[in-house]
Amino acid sequence: MKKYFRIYWPFAVNQIKSNFVYKGRFYLFILRKFLGMFIYYYLWMAIYASAPSGQLGGFSRNEMILYVFMSYTISDMVMVGISSEIGHDVTDGSVAMSLTKPISYRARLVFQSLGIMIYRAVVPTLFIWIGLEIYKVCKLGMPVTSPVTITATLVSILLSFFIYIYFDYCFGMLAFITTYIFGMNIIKNAALNFLTGKLIPISFFPAVLQRIFSFLPFTAIIYVPVMIYLGKYSGVQVLEQLGKQALWVVMLSLLGSFLWKRIEKRIVILGG
Amino acid sequence: MRKLSRYLNLYRVFVIQYVKTTMQSKADFFIGLSGFLISQAAGLAFLYLVFEQIPSMQEWNLEQMLFIYGFAQLPRGIDHLLTDNLWMVGWQMVINGTFDKYILRPMNIFFQIVCEKVQFDALGEILVGLILVGRSVAKGTVQVTPVRLLFFIISVSAGTVIYTSVKLILASIAFWLKDSSAIMTTAYEVADFAKYPIEIYAKPIQAVLMTILPFAFVAYIPSTFFLSNANIWKTIGAECAVAAVIWIIAYKLFQKGISMYESAGN
Repeated sequence: MKKYFRIYWPFAVNQIKSNFVYKGRFYLFILRKFLGMFIYYYLWMAIYASAPSGQLGGFSRNEMILYVFMSYTISDMVMVGISSEIGHDVTDGSVAMSLTKPISYRARLVFQSLGIMIYRAVVPTLFIWIGLEIYKVCKLGMPVTSPVTITATLVSILLSFFIYIYFDYCFGMLAFITTYIFGMNIIKNAALNFLTGKLIPISFFPAVLQRIFSFLPFTAIIYVPVMIYLGKYSGVQVLEQLGKQALWVVMLSLLGSFLWKRIEKRIVILGG
Repeated sequence: MRKLSRYLNLYRVFVIQYVKTTMQSKADFFIGLSGFLISQAAGLAFLYLVFEQIPSMQEWNLEQMLFIYGFAQLPRGIDHLLTDNLWMVGWQMVINGTFDKYILRPMNIFFQIVCEKVQFDALGEILVGLILVGRSVAKGTVQVTPVRLLFFIISVSAGTVIYTSVKLILASIAFWLKDSSAIMTTAYEVADFAKYPIEIYAKPIQAVLMTILPFAFVAYIPSTFFLSNANIWKTIGAECAVAAVIWIIAYKLFQKGISMYESAGN
């Protein structure tokens, strides 16, 4: 385990460093994400202003404010995609190089994304969260989030990261079938915005769809950690949800290994 | 006149050429199209789910919201269809020096860039826009008369010009910064504000949408003419004026940028 970290950790560090270099681009990236958050913030404010009762889909107005900001920050942090990189590697053939090296292709990609995740967690997200917490207590008059809830949320977010990355790895395997991974990614992102609960809380959906969603890994990526943060789950439910997330990590990781083995057998790379 | 027919002819040749290259992989076309269709579907489903819970938002009901949403897709989609190659200027051409080829040919440079690519993915946006607007007509949310149809076409065209001009300005920034793709994607995110009534936003955001990035004029402001018979000069008239002004600014900036352009050495 220790050796494993010694081998792959530098990939993460490398990403953290290179992210620090392209700061200008990064600030614009943050600004962009802020814009998306504020569109939905204002939209929800207008929606609640016209609501017949103070509750919509089981959320009060204040909870919805927190929901919007948390779901956006969490999605930016954990959804560090690797499928487009796999797409690149496959189309230009450099995936062949990865096959010859004595390190795991997937582990390398996972650690690179881990580096990006850590960077994003520290640079904007932490500050947004602190700001949000202050806003929550001073402006919205809600109680301070307990350390237990914070810990549970952070654990949940870490698991989300692994669910997403292992899912995206499986998704990236599509690059062996189609070269238009850009288009595939647009489809994926549109679907995920919905299925993860980023666009609208899952509780707004009809009961049938909610049941179907509960059999998919996606709600565990954003909806679950936000609900834990909002204190919508009881103690037992929190443990249950975390267990479910962990299960998804294991299952998707096994699926990824399986797919890779299948593809490794039939892969043909031309030129050299 | 001869010049115009020459350019039209050239455009035809370029497009046929481009279609040939895309035909190599039809699957990509369908992937791209369905990608944009699904994004649109998600936005619509959001509105439906929300309006399940509330009767109307401020003074807008679901039908009117859908009209604004659909109307907003049309200029966006047409601009996306025709001038998508401008992204490449901001993203790669200046920094890699491939912009050189345009300067060498005896044709208008803007024309050359635009005609090199027709982004068929955009048909997804246009399709959704047409369906939603058609639905509003069928449901009687908006009335159709020949005159209003004419105004509608004018408004969509002016909206397209606004989109293209904003894109041209941002792409031209690459002549100074070498790579303006990050700025371009940010501005595109702002365009999403235009899908909803702008009154819901805070005053500073409204001000930005009416001046620096005038996306408010693309759909929301003209749609009030069709939905609630607002004054035509304050809506579509203003939209056309904004379109004219921003186009002139964009084109001047673009020309200034080209004169600054120095190729990447090798």
